[in-house]
Amino acid sequence: MALTTGSPRGDGHRRLIVMAGVAALAFLVLLSRLYHLQVLRGEEFKGKAEENFVKELRVLADRGLVLDRNRKVLVDSRPSYDVVLIPYFCGKACDDVVGRLSALLSLTFDEEQRVREHLRTARGLVRFRPFTVKVDISRDELDVVEANRIELSGAVDVLPTPHRSYRHGVWASHLLGYMNEVGPDELERMNAELAKAGGDAQPYQPRDFVGRRGLERRFERELRGVDGTQRVVVDARGNAKRDSELIPEDQRFEPSYPGNNLVLSLDWRLQEFAEKTFPATAGSVLAMDARTGFLLALVDRPAVDPNKLAGRITRAELAEIRADPLQPELFRAIQQHYHPGSTFKVVTAIAALEEGALKPGGSVFCPGRYTLGGHTWRCDKETGHGHVDLEHALGASCDVFFYALGDRMGTDKIARWGAALGLGKPTGLDLPGEIPGVMPDEAWHDARLPGGHQHGMSLNISIGQGDVNVTPLQQLVLYGALATGKVWRPQAVLRVEDPKGEVVREFAPEVRSTLPVKPETRDAVMKGLLAAVNQPFGTAYGLRSREYVMAGKTGTAQVVKLGAKRLKAWQIDYFHRDHAWFVAFAPAEDPEIVVVVLNEHSGFGASNAAPTAAAVIRKWLELQEEDARAREDARRPSAEPPAPVPAPSAPVPPGRPEKPARAAAQAAPGGSRGA
Amino acid sequence: MALDLSGLASLGAPRQRSIARFPWHLALFVLAISGLGLWNLASAARGSHVDIWITQGTWMAVGLGVALAVSLVDYRLFRQGAWIFYGVVVVLLLLVLWKGRVIMGARRWLSFGPVNFQPSELAKIAVILALARWFSSDRESDPRRGPRGLAGLVVPGAIVLVPAVLVQKQPDLGTALITVAVGATMILFAGVRWKTLVVLATAVVLAAGAVWPHLKPYQRKRVETFLNPEGDVLGAGYHATQSMIAVGSGQGFGKGWGQGTQTLLSFLPEQHTDFIFSVWAEEHGFAGALLLLGLYFALVGSGVTIAMNARDRFGQFVAVGATALVFWHAFVNMGMVTGVMPVVGVTLPLMSYGGTSVLVVLAVLAMLANVGTKRFAN
Repeated sequence: MALTTGSPRGDGHRRLIVMAGVAALAFLVLLSRLYHLQVLRGEEFKGKAEENFVKELRVLADRGLVLDRNRKVLVDSRPSYDVVLIPYFCGKACDDVVGRLSALLSLTFDEEQRVREHLRTARGLVRFRPFTVKVDISRDELDVVEANRIELSGAVDVLPTPHRSYRHGVWASHLLGYMNEVGPDELERMNAELAKAGGDAQPYQPRDFVGRRGLERRFERELRGVDGTQRVVVDARGNAKRDSELIPEDQRFEPSYPGNNLVLSLDWRLQEFAEKTFPATAGSVLAMDARTGFLLALVDRPAVDPNKLAGRITRAELAEIRADPLQPELFRAIQQHYHPGSTFKVVTAIAALEEGALKPGGSVFCPGRYTLGGHTWRCDKETGHGHVDLEHALGASCDVFFYALGDRMGTDKIARWGAALGLGKPTGLDLPGEIPGVMPDEAWHDARLPGGHQHGMSLNISIGQGDVNVTPLQQLVLYGALATGKVWRPQAVLRVEDPKGEVVREFAPEVRSTLPVKPETRDAVMKGLLAAVNQPFGTAYGLRSREYVMAGKTGTAQVVKLGAKRLKAWQIDYFHRDHAWFVAFAPAEDPEIVVVVLNEHSGFGASNAAPTAAAVIRKWLELQEEDARAREDARRPSAEPPAPVPAPSAPVPPGRPEKPARAAAQAAPGGSRGA
Repeated sequence: MALDLSGLASLGAPRQRSIARFPWHLALFVLAISGLGLWNLASAARGSHVDIWITQGTWMAVGLGVALAVSLVDYRLFRQGAWIFYGVVVVLLLLVLWKGRVIMGARRWLSFGPVNFQPSELAKIAVILALARWFSSDRESDPRRGPRGLAGLVVPGAIVLVPAVLVQKQPDLGTALITVAVGATMILFAGVRWKTLVVLATAVVLAAGAVWPHLKPYQRKRVETFLNPEGDVLGAGYHATQSMIAVGSGQGFGKGWGQGTQTLLSFLPEQHTDFIFSVWAEEHGFAGALLLLGLYFALVGSGVTIAMNARDRFGQFVAVGATALVFWHAFVNMGMVTGVMPVVGVTLPLMSYGGTSVLVVLAVLAMLANVGTKRFAN
């Protein structure tokens, strides 16, 4: 043990020096690592540490309003009270809590099962996340939940979330569109598009609602606001802390900015009138300002309530809608093919006059049928019209007259004029999903039919049957062109305004082309359209008015080819019945409004479509006069108290505030969704 | 265990001139680190466990008393008691495996009445004393004896591996590794043939391959996480990632005492025990980390100096073992916190919270001081 018995000191010293060297090297490694982390990458890690504790809460922006031309609110946002359950906070008592909730909110069996299923399967972090038990509970239910807060434990909460409110349900809902949750793939695609478009648009986040269809989709970017941010300090468990001094004061809150408002060209007084007047189960009523091409009313049936489609619909209800043979999701005005029937006769007439197949004043003898190559085409009037000229033929809707013109001209000449009047291509309404319709020529038939084009087909086409297909909106534009000589691009939005009401973008009337016909031709056709309403032989003579002169054309579009004998509507299965058309404009001398009415499967146009059109036209002209009087009264300085001015908008349903219910949820804690 | 050592200490008597020869610089470094450790714990424990720095302070006071006793005893008493102590520790380790208390999935604790302690901590001291005793025997200290071959490593190898394997069985990989590292350092200091080293190194690599499938899943996961910490940020890589964020975000001069957000907002589990260095580095930055690194290096340097000047072979080996213990603890712990080592449960001497750890480290450093006190007279 004495040192003399130890190993040579030299050896031990050498090893100790080596070991000290190794230790120094090891500390040098630590030193350089610390330099690397703290000095070289310090900024980066500082950022990461901040990401750790700064939680950004979104302050959802209010989506823009949709207003009618008189600034009546059609679509806004309101708070939706959603009941949520956080499974972690009730633990073993969850079953009991769900039972109570179920009774208080009268949940259906399926709804309750869905919650219980979630409680069974939720694991880990999911147990901390609020699970939606029921969306959009009523005020009464809200009171009941609040009154029973203690028994329901802290696990149950009611979150007010801004929710799109379509104040008039199904009315004009195809035009307005709806909103629902963005899908994961879609989210990626939309954000990629936003990034490509540049600008400072915020990316979408999971569970965001986006506009679907109609204006909600088309004007998604304008309607969408800019979300704000609230930054709070959280600890590692996600609990918010009060130590907000960790975040500089100017970064704690960034306000949200509401989206822009859309001002539509629709006049809701007219829309409401048309909705109530139109008797159809399925069909469209379209009204357009003949002087600008802006739509005034757009009824389209059937439709689904957009309030339901925004996440308030059960699978069963959705399946029912999808299976409905009436196809309520179809926007008939721009997405459905119809035979124009007799309303197409104006095209045949124009073609014949312009191509010289019909001399001015020329006439045809109608014996009640037309025979060609061993086949017989029936006239609408079995006993025949006798000798008819163009005025009489259009007014009384004689088929034989137009068979003869079709026979003389052939398919191609009719098709050329149909195309010149805008058929076979979309009208250019600024909405997604418009179909072009079909204006077939001979090559079209050759390409599609086994026997190719046959001359007899031009006879079918001449009266709007065969393979001619149009949308109701195309009819509107076509008759608008006859009325004014201008082929309008139909539009539904007058302008986009910012939340303060400043105009961001204004849409001007847009003429796509002028009616390419000689004035005499237009006069001749106009005479026929006047005759249909104003001459005793006219198909719509019953609708003539003393106050104004209306011009129009009835149509009955065959849906299926029936036997030789005509049957009454009630004798035929609904889906085999004919469609009723009426297209009209007024006042004939200086047209202000064009109206199309399509009543699906209702039989004759004169009896089932024309009355609605006439009523809508009369209503519009009355409204114009009312407004003019109101303006007059407002301008005239009067000593006497001003006469009660007619309200600029239709009566508001009682109990609903006329002022837009700007999401009251904004300030509420639940109103902002976690980033 | 404190009782054991103080029992021994009472047997000796202070010698003349020992006060003058006492390595005061060593005591200075120890007190400096202990002070910083307490100050740091007071920051780390704000909020959740407010009073742990007081508990730690109490343990340090007790530890300093023990250290005083240990440093004043004639260390030749340790040599006499080395085998007995080693035997008692091995028995305690077996006892732990048989009827220890299970805390957090590991069977590490023995209870004697109100006192709970971990015999695995004692294993480190037992190995240091036993190896020093073995290498200071007459046969082993024969000056004509050259570096050891395989045969010469059988006994010292067994001295290290028996407690290490028992500790690993608990399981406590961190302590087992430190025990092996300290033992290996002492054996290397005694001298091993180069050829034998190469053979052993090869064997270790092969053994590692063979052991890998038998590791616990969490242990395997830790090694995998070390090799690729970004692969699993929220799972097993959470510790590694969060501690690197804490250290890095301290930047040059730190966020200030009590201002560490990673600490304050509990992003670091185990922040007051194994990950205490990340708290220090976050709040005091590169400058503070450098200071602490310097103190540990100074401690190691003092240890090496004491070993060089030791009066006899036993004292020299004890000094080497004690220095190795401090070095390996400090290096593995700080390496783990900064992401250059895998996450293993190793404390940072005098900084990490924990009574047993404080007592053992202070006792070991006291043995070092003891050896230093009886150094060669110039």
